[in-house]
Amino acid sequence: MSISKSKIDQACRVAEEFTKLYYESTDKRRHLISRLYLDTGILTWNGNGLTGNERIQKFYIELPSSDHTISTLDAQPIFDGAVNNQLSFLIQVSGTVKYQDKPPKSFQQSFVITAQGDKWKIVTDCFRLQEPLTSTDKN
Amino acid sequence: MPKPGKFNNSGWKKQYNEHDNRVETGGNPRRVIFKHSRFNKKGHQKDWSNSLRAHLEDEDVDMGSSGFSGHKKFHKKNGGRPGSPAPHKGGKRKLLESPTNWFRVTLPFGNKYDKDYILRTLLERVAPLPFLPISWNVNGTVATFYVDDYKLADKLHNLDKQIQCPDGFRLGIRVHSGSPNVDVNANMKEKMKLTMAKRYNAVNKALDLTRFHADPDLQDLFCALFKPIILLSVIDIISENIPEIEAINLNENRIQVLSHLRKLDKKLPNLKILHLGNNKVRDITMLDSLMGLPLVDLVLDGNPLCDKFRDQNVYISEVRKRFPKVTKLDGIVLPPPVGFDIPNEVVLPPSQQTYLCSGEAQGIVRQFLEQYFLIFDSESRQPLLQAYHENAMFSMTSNYAYGQNAKNSSWLNWYNTDNRNLLRVQDRDRRHKLLRQGQLSVVSFLSEMPGSKHDIHSFTVDLQLFTPQMLLLTVTGMFRELRSGHKTAPIRYFLRTLVIVPAGSGFCIANEQLYVTNATEEQAKNAFKTPIAEPTPTSTPTPAQITSTTSAATVTVPPMLDDNTKQQMVQAMAQQSGMNLEWSQKCLEETNWDFNRAAFVFTELQKQGTIPAEAFVK
Repeated sequence: MSISKSKIDQACRVAEEFTKLYYESTDKRRHLISRLYLDTGILTWNGNGLTGNERIQKFYIELPSSDHTISTLDAQPIFDGAVNNQLSFLIQVSGTVKYQDKPPKSFQQSFVITAQGDKWKIVTDCFRLQEPLTSTDKN
Repeated sequence: MPKPGKFNNSGWKKQYNEHDNRVETGGNPRRVIFKHSRFNKKGHQKDWSNSLRAHLEDEDVDMGSSGFSGHKKFHKKNGGRPGSPAPHKGGKRKLLESPTNWFRVTLPFGNKYDKDYILRTLLERVAPLPFLPISWNVNGTVATFYVDDYKLADKLHNLDKQIQCPDGFRLGIRVHSGSPNVDVNANMKEKMKLTMAKRYNAVNKALDLTRFHADPDLQDLFCALFKPIILLSVIDIISENIPEIEAINLNENRIQVLSHLRKLDKKLPNLKILHLGNNKVRDITMLDSLMGLPLVDLVLDGNPLCDKFRDQNVYISEVRKRFPKVTKLDGIVLPPPVGFDIPNEVVLPPSQQTYLCSGEAQGIVRQFLEQYFLIFDSESRQPLLQAYHENAMFSMTSNYAYGQNAKNSSWLNWYNTDNRNLLRVQDRDRRHKLLRQGQLSVVSFLSEMPGSKHDIHSFTVDLQLFTPQMLLLTVTGMFRELRSGHKTAPIRYFLRTLVIVPAGSGFCIANEQLYVTNATEEQAKNAFKTPIAEPTPTSTPTPAQITSTTSAATVTVPPMLDDNTKQQMVQAMAQQSGMNLEWSQKCLEETNWDFNRAAFVFTELQKQGTIPAEAFVK
């Protein structure tokens, strides 16, 4: 049983639309960012975990303003057995991000998005800056 | 309209004409005579040419062409250079000011006299002007040195033929605007470094480079900081040895150009005090290249740029536009700028190495990663077959990190060939092809990947989902790429996103996305710092420990390994060690199905000869 080609095509197409919207929102319309997440959505930002779209909204409002540039994008349909046949995609992104006027940093990010009614919602969002671990990271 | 026969090279046709003409009139000598006779007739043209050259070129300009009057003796010595340092007839040529204020002093036949004698004599004659000859050098019969002051240069210029040496020779002194071409070699850099060390105050983290070239220890060299190559070398020495520096004094160095100091804010991130007084910086915009430095104290006084400002407030605002934190300008404390009540600092939440949505998953995650990367880094990745679901999907993307490219970091070509970057790969079939499906397809691709050694201590782990149906795991970290044809094994950085599902008694991967890039310089510095590459005590059990390992059992059978995998490992161990299946299995069990450890233990025990013969009976 292999996954249908149309499902793979759909994953790619949705990922392209999703990332465009997501980074526009984080960079320019942060006050609306919670709408992209499930109510129970999860964000881990450099290892800091936040659960629930309201907390995620608050986190983003407090984060310094950002400007993301995407370099790579990849997407796959998630194995049905893992998600109870709920149409879900795994998306991975890399690129650079500038916080305020600071020099750009490389980042990588991965998402699980799922179809809820007629809307795509973020189930999980995992963000990592490509930086050396600091001594405070060790735990 | 250029005439044939003159110095013009515009196009083939003209050259052809010129050639024709030259044949007619009898060749090269005509040109030389022609040029000079013309110059002598037209006096004003001579002056124009001198001053223009003096201003346009500052490298060893010889302005003596007016004196050309057939002194063949001198002419020969100078190897056909334009002009000649022959004595001037009639009134003395006036020494022109030099844009850099550097002058070359030439003493024909200076080799005949002792350096100390000449310098002492000159010192006496130019008094009360301070006399500081730099980079004394004798080449053939000609001695040269450089001075950095117009008054002194003019005085020396007027002493031409005025000094009678003991043997009756009147010392000729030629003075011209100019400075030598310099090349910084290791020896020179070392001398500069020692001089800088002497001028560095470690307590204040301050380096005083005022009139650097005039330092007594550098008299033999030409270390003028107005030369970009010298200033850059100085900056390199600073960033290599004292990157923590907070203050630099560059007063009185005749610095004109700063554009080559771009990126100084990266090299010297703590530089707060910069004194550039009494230099030759012409315009405030030339400071743009220094933007980003966290300057609080800046001195620009004594540069031509200051004269351009009539209004002090405009001057201050132009400086603050570039260096917003400046509170002291030209030694004067500035009133604090009126700003807005919004913090300017970019404070990001501190990062955490690990996020686990469930504490009970910790053991599973740890074992899974240890097992996975142990096999991944081993000679054969085939055993990973059992780590993947039969319908597993795998895809890879790759890109250079910010500031890196194929020229300044290790090539990522291997990864780029199979890069499924959807921003680049638009073709539908190619997108399908680069998404590996099924465990065989996935593991055969993994087996093709370059050899690796992962630094497990560099890993970050985010476990976002842990449900009975799945684990969602994101891992980043560094690995050393092995046997891939690079001169030095590159340090790569990866991010893997894994959807892991339960399978039998263990787990397997259903979806995986891998991103590969190069580690940044800062990351690579920390790679393999913890002795992960060395066998740790737990992974090198002594023979006594081996029998007790299973009972000590900090780790039970890794959940990801099902019976099938174990059988494969036993087969592999039997093949590699020559032991029979029973003993191979025993060996693996006692090392917790850690294949490399088992192989290591086997080798150790065999060396000691403690493995019974029955282990090899098949």
